[in-house]
Amino acid sequence: MQVKSHKKLKKFTLYLIISIYLVFVLFPLLWLIQSSFKSMYQALKIPPDFIWTPTFEAYKKALGGGMLRAFLNSAVVSLSNVFLVLLLGITAGYALANLKTRASQNIGFWILSVRMAPAFGIIVPLYIILRSFRLVDTILAVMVAHLTINLPLAIWLLKGYFEEIPSELAEAAVVDGATRGQILLYILIPVALPMIVAVAALVFLLSWNEFLFAFILTSEQARTVPVLVASLAGTMRFDWPLMCALSTLALIPAFVLVVYLQRYIVRGLTFGAVK
Amino acid sequence: MRWQYKFLIPSLVILLSIVAFPTFFLFYISLHQWVLFKRGMPFTGIENFYLILTSSDFLQSLKVSLIYTLSSTVLTFVLGLGLALILNEELKGRNVIRTIIALPLVIPPVVAGFAWKFVLNREVGIIGAYLLPKIGFMKSLLADPSLALGSVIVADIWSKTSLMFLILLAGLQAVSPDLYEAARIDGASSPQIFSYITLPLIKPAIIIALIIRFIDAFNVFDTIFVMTSGGPGTATQTFPLLGWKIGFLYFNLGQAAALAIVMLFMTIGVSILLIRRIM
Amino acid sequence: MRKKYVRVGVILLGLLFLVSLMVPGALAKTKIRVLCFAQGFAWPELFGTSGVEETERLKQFEEKEGIDVQIEWGDETAVRQKVAADLAAGTGRYDLVLVGSDGGVQTYGYGGFLEPLDDYFKRYPSEYFDPEDVYPQFLDANRVEGVLYALPYYSFGAGIIYRKDIFDKYGLTPPRTTDELYQVLEALKSGLEGEGITDVYPLTMRGAPGEEPSLDLTGFVYAWAGYPAWFEGGAITPKEIKEKKAMPIFTGDFAPGFQAFVEMCQKFGPPGISTHTWVDMMNIYAMGKAVILMPSAINGYAALGITENENVKKYTRFAKIPTGPGGKQIQSFWTFSLGINKDSRYKKEAWKVLTFLMGKESMQAFAERTQWPNVTMKSVLYSDVLIKKYGIEEIKLNEESILEADPFYFPYIPELNEYMDRIGTAASEAIAKTKTIKDVLSGLQTWAMETMLRGGYYK
Repeated sequence: MQVKSHKKLKKFTLYLIISIYLVFVLFPLLWLIQSSFKSMYQALKIPPDFIWTPTFEAYKKALGGGMLRAFLNSAVVSLSNVFLVLLLGITAGYALANLKTRASQNIGFWILSVRMAPAFGIIVPLYIILRSFRLVDTILAVMVAHLTINLPLAIWLLKGYFEEIPSELAEAAVVDGATRGQILLYILIPVALPMIVAVAALVFLLSWNEFLFAFILTSEQARTVPVLVASLAGTMRFDWPLMCALSTLALIPAFVLVVYLQRYIVRGLTFGAVK
Repeated sequence: MRWQYKFLIPSLVILLSIVAFPTFFLFYISLHQWVLFKRGMPFTGIENFYLILTSSDFLQSLKVSLIYTLSSTVLTFVLGLGLALILNEELKGRNVIRTIIALPLVIPPVVAGFAWKFVLNREVGIIGAYLLPKIGFMKSLLADPSLALGSVIVADIWSKTSLMFLILLAGLQAVSPDLYEAARIDGASSPQIFSYITLPLIKPAIIIALIIRFIDAFNVFDTIFVMTSGGPGTATQTFPLLGWKIGFLYFNLGQAAALAIVMLFMTIGVSILLIRRIM
Repeated sequence: MRKKYVRVGVILLGLLFLVSLMVPGALAKTKIRVLCFAQGFAWPELFGTSGVEETERLKQFEEKEGIDVQIEWGDETAVRQKVAADLAAGTGRYDLVLVGSDGGVQTYGYGGFLEPLDDYFKRYPSEYFDPEDVYPQFLDANRVEGVLYALPYYSFGAGIIYRKDIFDKYGLTPPRTTDELYQVLEALKSGLEGEGITDVYPLTMRGAPGEEPSLDLTGFVYAWAGYPAWFEGGAITPKEIKEKKAMPIFTGDFAPGFQAFVEMCQKFGPPGISTHTWVDMMNIYAMGKAVILMPSAINGYAALGITENENVKKYTRFAKIPTGPGGKQIQSFWTFSLGINKDSRYKKEAWKVLTFLMGKESMQAFAERTQWPNVTMKSVLYSDVLIKKYGIEEIKLNEESILEADPFYFPYIPELNEYMDRIGTAASEAIAKTKTIKDVLSGLQTWAMETMLRGGYYK
């Protein structure tokens, strides 16, 4: 009898903690969304109206501001980043995992360390480089910049993972006369798939959310979503409902994404940590 | 050529040209005086480093960055671990809950910063201007120097716990439940199971999580900038904010570069420490 | 074997795709790139409320002049970043750049990044812009050592925006000196407190860290000291400072005005004032939560534009800014200006676009849309739409304020950005009581001495 009620109490407290956290997560978002349907004056009123007549003013303004283009740009940048990072990261990670020299032991860390320089430091050098190739305000520029953020991390994670795969798998294939490329493609990638997918998800997220590089390197054409939101949410823009509307619009695809991403990240990293 | 090198070359080329080159350029800039409104770029050796390290701004930002980074890393870790532990169990609605917890991941930090600013604002925010004064709390969360840092940390926790949660959850799920079974049969208590079985087994996940989190927290810019611009005064002026100010407001690119390099060494140092201590 | 080709093919396609994203469209017209902030607010009659439209009027101009105008927007602080990065790379990507008269003009002017404009009026007289129509103060504010570097769009001078109904309730009239100002504020404070009103404050000003308060704060310094009390003898150009070896006087004559500003914020402003930007200042007034907004009156007019509070709408009035103990009026002066990038390859075309954007037509459209009297040209200030809204009396008052303003109430030196930022941050800290006024001022003094010494001013 006592055991049962003890279990119930435990369950109850667990649910309580979870609920508190969920409220914490959802509250700002819900407030943001509901404010987007108010007029400027209404949004600022204290005490706030919990019942009011909704207006779509903010959304009309938001949708005219190049939102669609920004989404397209964000999607292109993030997806191509994933493609490039995986292409380069898998090959490099696998190579490093098999380089049994003394230097390669810590090379994973040193590659990661390249990424540790703060953004404001490398932004000007990067801008100068890209400017000389006339790449500013192109999606390519942003992709290149995001590579600097994502590639080192991917190599670090993938190298660690490849090291955990028993070498017998590869060895057997070598004996059968397969090339390294074939081994990678047909044997190792399928085995490493969960981790690869997790890395893909992480890279996608980092790219999607990235602001500073995307801002400096783009103008009208290649703006991504965070840049658009920030540009319209600046000091000159005192239009709270508009900013809320923009943020809400930015949330919609995000919400769709997260439903899938969280599953992949967990699953991928789970299998990555096994062994 | 050994195949490993062949596979490495494309990545190495990219890494060197795009990642390493700017970093070398950064070192170069830091050794020169480069102020945009002054002509010329004379070599000044370590003068930039000397100036930045002895400035009061640096000390203040060191304090703020330390508090911010440590608090955020530790708190998101504890929170993430707690949530992961809870959601590792069989609970109803697990997937939905996990999805909601993961939501802040896909919200750009700029938007997160803005949302929290709006909500905590002392004059028009639902929490700052309505709920808190109702319970008698009259101070301004973003304007009071002793509270601003805390508020900014809360926003960061909100934004970044999800990632910690996911990484740690992955680590936990990799632990076979049989191990727990066996331990329980042997009469181990929950805390004992946690310290002697769970914790050691999820060490790799912990390291990944902590390093990623630390680098990120140390480099946070967007959220804080949107919320307080480093204020009130310099109460929330972390290193990235200071660096941005020096480079883009004072146009002193040489000194900003020096600060960036100091930050780089700090980051590398701490990461090495983390790996050594935990492993 | 075939698989290998497939892979190579995929990679090539991928690269092709990437390359195609790089290629910009071909243009026949000269392209002029403009970088500034205030998307949707600045020139909506040309660029739409979204800021990215191509309106008929814009197309007309482009057709007539054979110029393709590309405007790029950003946040105020963010635009600075882009300009800095571009200037550092030295490539003249932007033909017209936003420069504010509180640091932008000075920094870029002294740095040699802007094209001097005086000659252009003679060489390429513009049908769009008549320099005679502009109040000289607004042009002067964009002069560095006498050379004009930018043209102003909307601009403001100092003034008091106040609620006549609340003034009447407590039997008050607009103050003409700062002593009277204190009396008014005290009366408001005791009056409001006496009635138990806790969410209306006598005063709303801005105290956010960084350069936010500096325009207003240095105006206070000017009024209390009677001159721009930053360096000995009121030196305000690098030449003067070097010649007279004028040391900083932040703990000297600078202090009284600084102190007055800080104390006024603390005593009569809302609790969050040490983080308030002009947006907060405006919102507070718009919500009816403040009686007086000063000295950047433009924000009061902006508040008037967005408020839904009936009393605010009906009873908001403008009064001239009071005079301080030093015998000068409190200043607060700023112009939203654009300058031509010295590295621009199409300066003549850029000049055309510049005068068009800053010209009478744009100014008139601004007045008609916002209904703020913060315009640069006399003819626009006295246009029907504004007279109808405010009455000839208030328009006259506004004009007097402009004519009595002194744009050089702070030094025009290349380091101005950093000074404004540090002064503002110091004020913010003092207001928030993180540090004492004495401490922040001596901190400023030490910093200024070091900076000027290192800058070679006193050799």
